[in-house]
Amino acid sequence: MAITGKIRLNLQFKKPLRYFLHDSRKISTVVSEKINENLKESNNERLDNTKLPLELLDYRFKFAEFLPDPNPLHRNKIREKLERRDMLLRRSNVEIPEFYVGSILAVNYSDQHAPGKQNRFLGICISRTGQGLRASFILRNVIDKMGVEISYFLYDPTIQKIEVIRLEKRLDEELFYLRDAPPEYSTFPLDMRAKIHAHGTCVPINEIKVPLNPLPWLQRWERMNMKGIIDCKSMVNEKRRIKAEYKIHTKPWEKYDLMKMYRETIPIEEQKEIFAEIYSSLQEHEIHRLKSKRTRSLVKPIKTG
Amino acid sequence: MNSILKVCVGQQAVRNFLKPTLETFTITSRGKKLLNPPPRKRLSPWLIKQNRVQHRDDLTPENKEFIQQVIKDKYAPSNNDIERFSPLKLDTIEPITEWQPHYRRVGVIAKKIGIVPLWLKNGKKIITTMLQVSDNHVIKYIPPEEYKPMISKRKTVWPRTMGCLIVGAESCDPQLFTKEYCGLFNDSGVMPKRLLARFSISPEAALQPGTPLSASHFQIGDFIDIRGKTIDRGFQGVMKRWGFHGMPASHGVTKTHRRPGNIGSGSHKARVLPGTKMPGHMGNRYRIIRGQRIIRMNTKYNIIWIHGDAVAGATNSFVQIYDTVLPFKTSKALNVTPRFPTYFPNLQKEALPEELFADDLHNFADPTIIYTDE
Amino acid sequence: MNIYISFILSRQIHTSGSFNYIIKMTRLRVVDNSQIGKQAMFEGKPPKCIHIYNKLNIGYIGDKILIAIKGEKKKGILVGLKQKQQAKIPKYDSNNIVLIEDNGTPLGTRIYVPIPHILRTVLRQKTYSKGADYTKLLGIASTFI
Repeated sequence: MAITGKIRLNLQFKKPLRYFLHDSRKISTVVSEKINENLKESNNERLDNTKLPLELLDYRFKFAEFLPDPNPLHRNKIREKLERRDMLLRRSNVEIPEFYVGSILAVNYSDQHAPGKQNRFLGICISRTGQGLRASFILRNVIDKMGVEISYFLYDPTIQKIEVIRLEKRLDEELFYLRDAPPEYSTFPLDMRAKIHAHGTCVPINEIKVPLNPLPWLQRWERMNMKGIIDCKSMVNEKRRIKAEYKIHTKPWEKYDLMKMYRETIPIEEQKEIFAEIYSSLQEHEIHRLKSKRTRSLVKPIKTG
Repeated sequence: MNSILKVCVGQQAVRNFLKPTLETFTITSRGKKLLNPPPRKRLSPWLIKQNRVQHRDDLTPENKEFIQQVIKDKYAPSNNDIERFSPLKLDTIEPITEWQPHYRRVGVIAKKIGIVPLWLKNGKKIITTMLQVSDNHVIKYIPPEEYKPMISKRKTVWPRTMGCLIVGAESCDPQLFTKEYCGLFNDSGVMPKRLLARFSISPEAALQPGTPLSASHFQIGDFIDIRGKTIDRGFQGVMKRWGFHGMPASHGVTKTHRRPGNIGSGSHKARVLPGTKMPGHMGNRYRIIRGQRIIRMNTKYNIIWIHGDAVAGATNSFVQIYDTVLPFKTSKALNVTPRFPTYFPNLQKEALPEELFADDLHNFADPTIIYTDE
Repeated sequence: MNIYISFILSRQIHTSGSFNYIIKMTRLRVVDNSQIGKQAMFEGKPPKCIHIYNKLNIGYIGDKILIAIKGEKKKGILVGLKQKQQAKIPKYDSNNIVLIEDNGTPLGTRIYVPIPHILRTVLRQKTYSKGADYTKLLGIASTFI
């Protein structure tokens, strides 16, 4: 009886298991080292099977806001399609560059309250959230020894220009711990000059680790398991250290929760559809941007010469 | 005996009694009037049982294909409006296209597909709800004389002036439904619909069964009422259902952290007053949100954007939308002519553009908003 | 020295839950160079909010409040908040105030921290003729963001 039960289970779960472990992981939106390693190894195999250009595989990180909502209850294909169309229309009017959490950005935007009806803010991107038109990001900087954060909607029509000063990634997906870190870790001069990132090269990861200020903190960082913090567990008392290792906080079962992973990720077939739809227009914007860059660089020497 | 009867009839009072008078009848009210009436567990009286038990028929692939072919043949001319109507079965209803302010038009069934931000031309962000008018057709018209809804709150029912139009949304495979339910769609000639809704209309706004309804039934700037079913949250306590504060977590409190506390006095009125907020079933009620403004429209996918995010129900749930009844927001008050009785694409000289925007709404194709000094 | 130690010790203890908005008894930070404000911040006795001049009793950006500072009652204007703000409005790491007199004239002559641009509009709306002129505060600000 037991044996038959086992066999049945195997038959039932064979396909989905295979799907999750071999197919879905590679294309999931969850970023982790293992997945990246697997991707590099098996890129060639996948290309043969799916005939996806190499660029499209990066698009899920590069243009993450084009993917549907992680909550399946909030998804609707027609709405997402119309949203994507609006997003592309906005992208044809303003250049929205590739950037990640940890990149340093400068945003120029029209402001009714400012004297010249125009404003500029520079800072490090500490979080990027939202899908579709509600995609947003938060910039943080320390000005006159005072920490300041401003959030922007990515597709806000008052944004005139988004400059990427440093294109890089950090070890974590959100950097809210900079609020509890010494101010020098989030201080950037407002007139910082942009460093040009060579087209086609991979984005560097800034592996800087941040010490935290003494307690109290805004959040219980010892429970968060952040890679970018230097040894925050030794700063808390014994009671908090023990509590941080409770299973309810570490959640060791989550890596085996296949359904959770399935719900939060978008399968490769759907991603292929979405990116195939927007590929040509994104490519056009890219070519247009490169062209304008080239003309700009050509003009400069004539002026100086 | 006869002579006595004759005498009686001859008298004025008796004659008046026997005369046919205005037809009035009373309906006893069922149940008490509650603040939140519980959801009805039975079907609407005008609706027949919809779904059937799906038996295992063991059909061969060829037979399945044959059934699909039959269905296709039966409902194939659904694109062509003229062929579908059989004049022998139904009286054709010629649409009256002249609008009078006291007329009441039909509504449509729509699907709530999500909430997205849009921006106004002054740079302000607004939250909008997207509603998709999905595959709507007129199923049946009931004139005022025949329209007798079974349940009425009024005790005396006067002759009706408003007729009823039944509208269906989302065509489905007829194999899913019962034979009787499919019979509802015989006259209109459309495929059986998953959803039906009735709208009370003035008889002048009647439409021929089988007429398709689209998002262009409304115009940009119109105000609409939206009726939907709220999210079903089940049996809930007083804190979630009515927003009570509950009681402290400690300081000697035992077993009463989320309870309501006192519900009435004991001396004068020693009972629980009707309408007291108590635990119970939360959600799954029809709620109407009135006076929502249409700010954007897509005529290809039949999508309406309305200003606001308070439409009842979750994403992908169905709602009914119709012209508002708020007196200062009707087409009479705004002095505009609606598309009456509905939008007929065949009668128009020029097709509508795909995207329509309100005057103050920013189109994403427009350049970046820049403020100028005044 | 003793004062400094007591300040550090007092920071370790929280007697109430943290609110992200300004209510009565909220500790604030004076960011101008007024004598009383500077002294209070140096001693580690930051001022407390004791009244908010609006109907909600929750202070938002640009609101006038009454504070208790060094045993005195003073008025101040909220010029930067810790709570979550709408898009394009800055959120600060501390709750900042600038001390003013009853007629709107600031007590100090300089503000050390950046001031949000939206205060220009908010304070202009709150100023009415023959009343207090709050826009004088904008004149002593060093930077705007």
